[in-house]
Amino acid sequence: MTRVPNEPWYTPLPPCETTVPCGQGRHVIRWEAGQLRLASHADPEAELVLAALGGQKARCVEIAEAWGRHVADLTVLTVWPRDPAAGIEVGWDDVDAAGQADQGGWAVPRHGAMRLASPPTAAIAMAAARRRRYQQEAGQASQRRLDMLSLLALGTGFQVRLSGQVAAAYAGRLDEPDEHGRNVRSVLTAALSGRLAPVAERWLGIDPDQVEASLHQEPGWGSVELAGHGQQRRLLVSLPAWWLARVWACGLALTGRHLVVAVEGACWPDARVLALRAPGAEPVSLSAHGSDGPPGSVDTPHWEI
Amino acid sequence: MLPVPGAPAVADTEDMDREGAETYLRLLAETVLRGSPAAAAEPGPPGTSRMMVVGHALIAVGALDPDVTEEILADFWLAVSMRQLHGEPGQPVTAAQWLSQGRAAPPRKPRPGAPPTAPPESAPPGADADQERSARFVPVGLTVPFRSGAISGELCLMSFARTGAGARVVAAWGVRSPSLELQSGFQHPGLIPFDEFTVTDDRGARYQLDHTPGSDLEWPNLIGLSPDPPQNIRWLDVAAPYRQAVRVDLRPAGDAAPASVSDTTLSPGEHLLVMLAERLLTWTPGFPRSGRLAGPPAGPWRAMTAGFGDIIAALEAADVLSPLSPVPARLATLCASLDLNGHGIAVPPADDLPEPWLSLLAHYQRRKPDPAQLRDGYAALAASLPELDGIRLTLLGLQHTQGNSALHVLAQGRTPEPRPGPLDIDLSFPLSIWLRDSGGRWHAARQDRCHRAGRESTIRLRLVPPLTRPVDWVEVLAGGRSAEVRATLPLHWRYPS
Repeated sequence: MTRVPNEPWYTPLPPCETTVPCGQGRHVIRWEAGQLRLASHADPEAELVLAALGGQKARCVEIAEAWGRHVADLTVLTVWPRDPAAGIEVGWDDVDAAGQADQGGWAVPRHGAMRLASPPTAAIAMAAARRRRYQQEAGQASQRRLDMLSLLALGTGFQVRLSGQVAAAYAGRLDEPDEHGRNVRSVLTAALSGRLAPVAERWLGIDPDQVEASLHQEPGWGSVELAGHGQQRRLLVSLPAWWLARVWACGLALTGRHLVVAVEGACWPDARVLALRAPGAEPVSLSAHGSDGPPGSVDTPHWEI
Repeated sequence: MLPVPGAPAVADTEDMDREGAETYLRLLAETVLRGSPAAAAEPGPPGTSRMMVVGHALIAVGALDPDVTEEILADFWLAVSMRQLHGEPGQPVTAAQWLSQGRAAPPRKPRPGAPPTAPPESAPPGADADQERSARFVPVGLTVPFRSGAISGELCLMSFARTGAGARVVAAWGVRSPSLELQSGFQHPGLIPFDEFTVTDDRGARYQLDHTPGSDLEWPNLIGLSPDPPQNIRWLDVAAPYRQAVRVDLRPAGDAAPASVSDTTLSPGEHLLVMLAERLLTWTPGFPRSGRLAGPPAGPWRAMTAGFGDIIAALEAADVLSPLSPVPARLATLCASLDLNGHGIAVPPADDLPEPWLSLLAHYQRRKPDPAQLRDGYAALAASLPELDGIRLTLLGLQHTQGNSALHVLAQGRTPEPRPGPLDIDLSFPLSIWLRDSGGRWHAARQDRCHRAGRESTIRLRLVPPLTRPVDWVEVLAGGRSAEVRATLPLHWRYPS
């Protein structure tokens, strides 16, 4: 197996924060060292208890719950952006609109109050069970869609960090299915392919459809080779699943015109990386220094060699 | 009946690379999400049809569980719709629509040990053999004239079949009324006074005729007998109102048709591609002809054809199609012969098309249709073929009506559930059926109507092209994954007056 540094995957990442409409104002939500923190809510646990007793749940608390529901959800990797530069734009207005639509939606057909003189109890029980199942599935789908929209509305920095958390949750257990029975290796292979392709395009100018990625599961960092010519040209890349969290989610994938294939050690804003100047070359160990992007840019760090 | 060695139901799934299949579909989603102008021009989420045809193909060969496929497509659709939130409003097609399951995410809990496709209906050990021993198929070939008020006509009894699902007659009819010309075959069964017919067996027991068994109004050629007669009756007297009874001899005339069986050992992927090729061949007659054949401008047919390259790559990724298989090249030839571009098949066309395909292509490429010399009529049949891929097929009649020809068959055995999809193939009847007439022309048999009852399906197969002359015999070629069966059957045509 690939040697994995002992440090957490997010050590090259700085904290990030955003504000969300919550109650009558806007509250700060912060991500730091792999944790989501609600700066304006001193005791979210107590608020959850109050909400369970009938009180209104604060949006910040709802977001923290949604984050918790999806930190190990592979769907995040299939839906979330493949490229931080092309994040998915969702506003809080979108979330509010979806929430209102869901409150009015998912209506189960009702058949009025007509009663039979002697109701067929078995048929009624079956119909009720079907109705409950439908409502449960519809409710889950609705909750899931709202979760996704809310988490996307946090912005690109949070989107990338959540992708990193999900990838890290599964990178060490490729052979086990996830809790829903999904094939983890299959999802992570596609996630790697989808995220590597735009990086390779910027690195080499290659057509993203000519990039073939696979998961490297042997010792070492993997391989990157160019093969063929013209339309048959292929960039064959094999990288460990950890690359998605430790490199891509930390914004290190393309640093100083090098393809970073591994992080040897990091503590924001410094990182020691293993990087390739060109396909087929031996990787070299380089020092990278990170900085916040220019104002208005996406909330991911900018690295220089 | 001749045994056929190693007959899987639809696909032997043990050697498949299911992870490869799932990965292929997920990688295709990545490619589609990156976007291309062609994909963006599609109705619905861009690339949806590409995803759907590949997903359906992988389900068809048993490489992907339908639930897994649905989840992948639901995630894909979610990814597309999130990206379209502030773009042009599309016309999202839910992934579940084509799977007819109607459920999108969330993902389902795992089902440990679940097979990749829905298993066929189970039956206790020995039940099949018991049912087959009790099955009785008799060619009839009798016409029962009737009159009821202003309605008159003939009920044409082609064959009698009694199985575990009950007894029925496969029939055609001609009906006359003051407002109708003579109508044979498929139309106006409601005008026939079935409830006024009397049916009596050799022991004096009486039966009712029921022309809609299972309440399946789409299937008018089946006439059920109620109650189910005992196994060993010798004859039935069928009498129309105020008419002399016609005696139907039910002594079996020999079950099995003389047939030859040869191994074919198609891989699941090859078998699917053959089904798709034959679907193309039987779809074509509805298209307008312009010199050579012209394909349709749009529709699911176009999506399927455009997906051939992706389907072949997916089948190879799932390890159900060898890169050395000759079938993709034949499919490429077929597309070229039908002027279908954009199929995406990477291998060059081959020149070794199967003889039936060549015969059908030659028919299409004639400039003038054959003059029809065949009157409306029918030929009685009751010929059971050797079991093929777990399916026992019995031919129950051949009919020609108003320019259309149909072969009636009963399929018994393990078949998967029907699962509609963009490929428009019937997974519950995964056999290829061809007829070669005594004039040497081949006719593809395409499913037209089907009535399922448990492990049995009574199927009307429409012949493409239809017969044009009264042939003396037909050779039936039934092909499955593991083997193909050939049987030559003499035909004795009867014509309603």
